[in-house]
Amino acid sequence: MGISRDSRHKRSHTGAKRAQYRKKRKFELGRQAGNTKLGPKRIHEVRVRGGNRKFRALRLDSGNFSWGSESITKKTRIIAVVYNASNNELVRTNTLVKGAIIQIDATPFRQWFEAHYAQPLGRRKKKEGQAESEELSKKRSKHVQRKIDSRKEDAKVDPLLDDQFTTGRLYAIIRSRPGQIGRADGYILEGKELEFYVRKIKSKK
Amino acid sequence: MSEQVEKAFQKQVGIFQNPKASKKVKAKNLRWYKDVGLGFKTPKEAIEGHYIDKKCPWTGEVSIRGRILTGVVVSVKMKRTIIVRREYLHYVTKYNRYEKRHKNLAAHLSPAFVGVSPGDIVTVGQCRPLSKTVRFNVLKVQKRIQKGPKQFAKF
Repeated sequence: MGISRDSRHKRSHTGAKRAQYRKKRKFELGRQAGNTKLGPKRIHEVRVRGGNRKFRALRLDSGNFSWGSESITKKTRIIAVVYNASNNELVRTNTLVKGAIIQIDATPFRQWFEAHYAQPLGRRKKKEGQAESEELSKKRSKHVQRKIDSRKEDAKVDPLLDDQFTTGRLYAIIRSRPGQIGRADGYILEGKELEFYVRKIKSKK
Repeated sequence: MSEQVEKAFQKQVGIFQNPKASKKVKAKNLRWYKDVGLGFKTPKEAIEGHYIDKKCPWTGEVSIRGRILTGVVVSVKMKRTIIVRREYLHYVTKYNRYEKRHKNLAAHLSPAFVGVSPGDIVTVGQCRPLSKTVRFNVLKVQKRIQKGPKQFAKF
């Protein structure tokens, strides 16, 4: 192995080849990449410089994702990796890295939304006779009903997001570093960012 | 917006761009910028512009500290970075005379500065390493003064 992170092996700014005058040092070491995949959780602990720890996630299946405009965060299952700006290979092998665009399970967010706003989210057009979900039609106390009425006008959701809720999968981006802290956390894509990535994904297919 | 030329979405990390439509915040250009200190004026283009540059001293995540140097621009051919030439005199004791020497410096040029061309005088400030050779960031540009009869300059 012997991955090192020194710059003594590189040519200098002027182009001169630098002579080797000392061996590799431990403080210059590098380690093998984690290449976190999707699967049942498997995390290895690494002792690093100073006695501290890094958690190298080798397999992950869920993460903590936040819905920015609603300011809530829920733990959700990760379904698949959909786009990676740096490398298509990482998409094909479903590798979780910071900045990867993934699809996550939408149910915790939908449940929160329906409990908070008492409005359906991502439901297909109902046929006659189908009962409303328990969340929507349950009996609420007057106090709670008043709170819900005051939130009514905030309950609008962007149409692009609403479509994603009907399929049950949301696009999100990983913002933590799974190979360093052992978690895949991030946020749900919205607005311009969402449009940008949806366009990229479509043009790939 | 034509600043999205890369494969990943370019934005300033840390400013949230998607508040709900019903909320009253209506800033058309949600942009974060800072003052680099040491008396350097932050360019208007940095505040009003739309470019995204994480290595810009005003709209990015670098801080200016350490040395502040000046030099002459030699080349502007790289993407967002320039080569600055600093001349100095070195004393040779045996002959009691000086000799001319120069050093070239790679400095990051923020998109806030438009129209920088070779020959301009530039002030650069030290920041953390931004790439293999770049440790400086351009803070101020002074156009080259045309001495004598005006020569043909490309517009």
